[in-house]
Amino acid sequence: MLQSKKIFMVLALAVMLLISMSGLAQMSPKPAPVDTVIKNGTILTVTHGVIHNGSILIRNGKIAEVGQSVTVPPGAVVIDATGKFVMPGIIDSHSHLALDSDVNEATSPVTPHMMMLDAFDYTDKAIYHTLAGGVTTSLLLHGSANMIGGQAVIIKHKFGLDRDELLFPNAPRSIKFASGENPKRVYGGRNQLPSTRMGNFAVQRAALQEAREYMRDWDAYDEKVKKGDKDAKAPKRDLKLEALADILRGKLMVQIHCYRADEFLNEMAMAKEFGYKIRAFHHGLEVYKVADKVAAEYVGLATFADWWGYKHEAWDAIPWNAVMSMRKGVTVSIKSDSNDFARRLNQEAAKTMRYGGATEEEALKMITLNAAWILGIDDRVGSIEVGKDADITIWNNHPLSSYGRVEKTLIDGTVFFDSSLPGLGLPFWHGGAMSGAGGFGNDDGEVR
Amino acid sequence: MKISRIVFTFVCTIALALSASSQTRPTATASAKPAAAPAPSAPVPIAIRGGKLLTITHGVIENGVVVIEGGKIIAVGAAASVTIPRNAHIIEAAGMTVYPGMIDSMSHLGLTEISAVEMTNDMVEASDEIMPHMHVTDAFHAESELIPVTRMNGVTNAIVSPSSRDTLPGQMAFIQLDGRSSDEMLLVRDISMPLNFTGQQRRNESFASSKYPSTRMGMAAQLRQAFIDAQDYAQKWDEYNKKSADATKDKKDAPTAPKRDLKLEALVPYLQGKKPVLLTAEEPSDIKVAMRLAKEFNLKAILGDLVYSRNILDEIAASKLPVIVGSIYDAPKGDERYDTVFSIPAELQKRGVKIAFGSWGDTHNARNIPYAAGYAVAYGLPWDEALKAVTLNAAEIWGLADKLGSLDVGKTANLVISNGDPLDMKTDVKRVFINGREIPMRSRQTDLRDAYSH
Repeated sequence: MLQSKKIFMVLALAVMLLISMSGLAQMSPKPAPVDTVIKNGTILTVTHGVIHNGSILIRNGKIAEVGQSVTVPPGAVVIDATGKFVMPGIIDSHSHLALDSDVNEATSPVTPHMMMLDAFDYTDKAIYHTLAGGVTTSLLLHGSANMIGGQAVIIKHKFGLDRDELLFPNAPRSIKFASGENPKRVYGGRNQLPSTRMGNFAVQRAALQEAREYMRDWDAYDEKVKKGDKDAKAPKRDLKLEALADILRGKLMVQIHCYRADEFLNEMAMAKEFGYKIRAFHHGLEVYKVADKVAAEYVGLATFADWWGYKHEAWDAIPWNAVMSMRKGVTVSIKSDSNDFARRLNQEAAKTMRYGGATEEEALKMITLNAAWILGIDDRVGSIEVGKDADITIWNNHPLSSYGRVEKTLIDGTVFFDSSLPGLGLPFWHGGAMSGAGGFGNDDGEVR
Repeated sequence: MKISRIVFTFVCTIALALSASSQTRPTATASAKPAAAPAPSAPVPIAIRGGKLLTITHGVIENGVVVIEGGKIIAVGAAASVTIPRNAHIIEAAGMTVYPGMIDSMSHLGLTEISAVEMTNDMVEASDEIMPHMHVTDAFHAESELIPVTRMNGVTNAIVSPSSRDTLPGQMAFIQLDGRSSDEMLLVRDISMPLNFTGQQRRNESFASSKYPSTRMGMAAQLRQAFIDAQDYAQKWDEYNKKSADATKDKKDAPTAPKRDLKLEALVPYLQGKKPVLLTAEEPSDIKVAMRLAKEFNLKAILGDLVYSRNILDEIAASKLPVIVGSIYDAPKGDERYDTVFSIPAELQKRGVKIAFGSWGDTHNARNIPYAAGYAVAYGLPWDEALKAVTLNAAEIWGLADKLGSLDVGKTANLVISNGDPLDMKTDVKRVFINGREIPMRSRQTDLRDAYSH
């Protein structure tokens, strides 16, 4: 009996090994939710202060209880966080990771029908590296070569699972706009429109105007159908115009790569002209100059902590930008735009405490709740609150210090990274080569 | 805004004019004080009292006193043991931390302004690969806006290097981040030169347009030939000098001097072991090629970068060469563990290697060098070793330990006063002294901040 069991085990192992070698079973099955209690840690909730010696009960992948003490159901997995810091998973509001070299469809300045999901490479090791830096959710954006780029995808960093398991369920849709030097350089360099900021905005306005007409044609058609007109002829479907029309219909959140004060004003004026909302300016290194105006339009800011001088439109960047803008009422997040910064966004956020005096909670919000707002998912992630997804990171030291290191990252209540595990620290990665060159992962390889 | 800029420039000019003469000790006047009212630069001694001193060489002194005068540290110790000169200007530093200025061991400060604007960059002469006769001192821009931004965070000294596009891009310099002119800032000209073995120096952008050297073999051969030519050149001059001396002695006609070749001449001090070369490479195979070449020509060497050298760390330690570690933020290669590169400084130090940090390509944020050291602590480097790596180790590696890198009597008064841990990004640097002069805590960035803070 024992012998046959042994043989069976060996066979099973051999089969598993074969399958895993063939790459077929590289991805693990979806983990079943287990009741989990994170016990006795310093909990940085982000929305309701710090709970010392606090605990969190996770049930069905959601935060079920938070407090000094919580229910410990029988059979629950208990993670002892004594002496550790516990914070929500980091949310990166501007990333290009896991898109290989397909960040920019730089063949036309208007490409709203590009879907970043079609380029998303879920085995890219950058997902792992950032998961190990505490990132649980990222907004993967099109690059900044085009005035109107493609549609973003929001992922959860469940490295090791199958592609669709990494997609943030029912995520709001975002589209990338750009402005300034990058479109100018890309198309001007080919002696095409646009090669100036006038050209940039002319291209954008023309596209939106076309979309307006497309939308009008479809609205008219829909109206006819509604009235029972059986002879109504549907206009020709055009993916590009359809995507643009969705901007005007408010179905896409507009995320704009934009550096200069004058451009923020131009972008906001155009949004008014065409009746759409801008969700956030990205990079936005000069928002501090017109922060009151940006705040008045409820436009957010996804920016760097202290990067400057890499190009002319980044020359007036100052590290006080984030806090100065926040004090004027702008919802500010610190983002990566880089596979490197994405691994230590906690440190980038900490700089806002030094430059402008953000409080700990304000600094943490910039990489959690505020970033979640920019993505439109702040009701589901971004803080340690009952009912939210259990996306949680556990740190050896305070995350807002040079010495903070992630020990565990949980997503939807499951541990996806554990630094104490041998090897890679990845419970769900079962071998096979990871993809990704481990490059810088920014807009166009060099210039942001 | 425009007006405030002009006023600022004006104030600054006076302050700089004054400070520049810290050696000649002018009398400071009240009107010359910048807004933050820093201490007069001379001639009175300055005593920084009550702070926590991180001396680097003799531990931490709680409630300590540092006295500086004439650009030098003249006393350091516990408050009880140091007699403050009666005429000293006193700076109260209770609750503050005081430590030596930090050293960036690999930067391009003064060679770049806006990365993407070509005309503001003098990083490398890319027309040829072997350019030992290029001297960064000829391009160093003392008025670079990057310098005040950097020094305000406590970085007082730096190596200025050409970029790594060439195998041998030229001669580096060691600077202090304050001075009226490049002359005052360039402390050591031609201190060393990099030999780059990262593979990025190949001229093989496309197969059709590639030119020699388009491979690693080509680059090594080219570099080797340059040193052989320099050896021949040195020998020719030795012979000439000998003949010339003999001719003088024998009262004969002087022999004809060999033709001077600036390129080969620049290599001679390295062949003579008078200066170190900086061998930079990432991968084990490249490091081995570099180290072997250095051995062939008996070059004094410092190692640089080494971010992917994890599996030859013992060999590196055995070489006894110091290392300027590369950017520890680089992503690991292949399917390595996520922290493979983060922990390189710790792994080197554990093996007894003397390490220092550099900002490498990240010149605009050379100010962040303490945070790289701090992050290495998160991944195993002892905290005091990390602090040493950005101070004394760097001074030792660059042959300046008699002047820089610690709070010791006789050393240059490069000091930082901050409100906390020097390696933590939350810490605010309050005051910085360079060569005994308190620098204004202003930069183009603070100027913009203040202009829009209303």
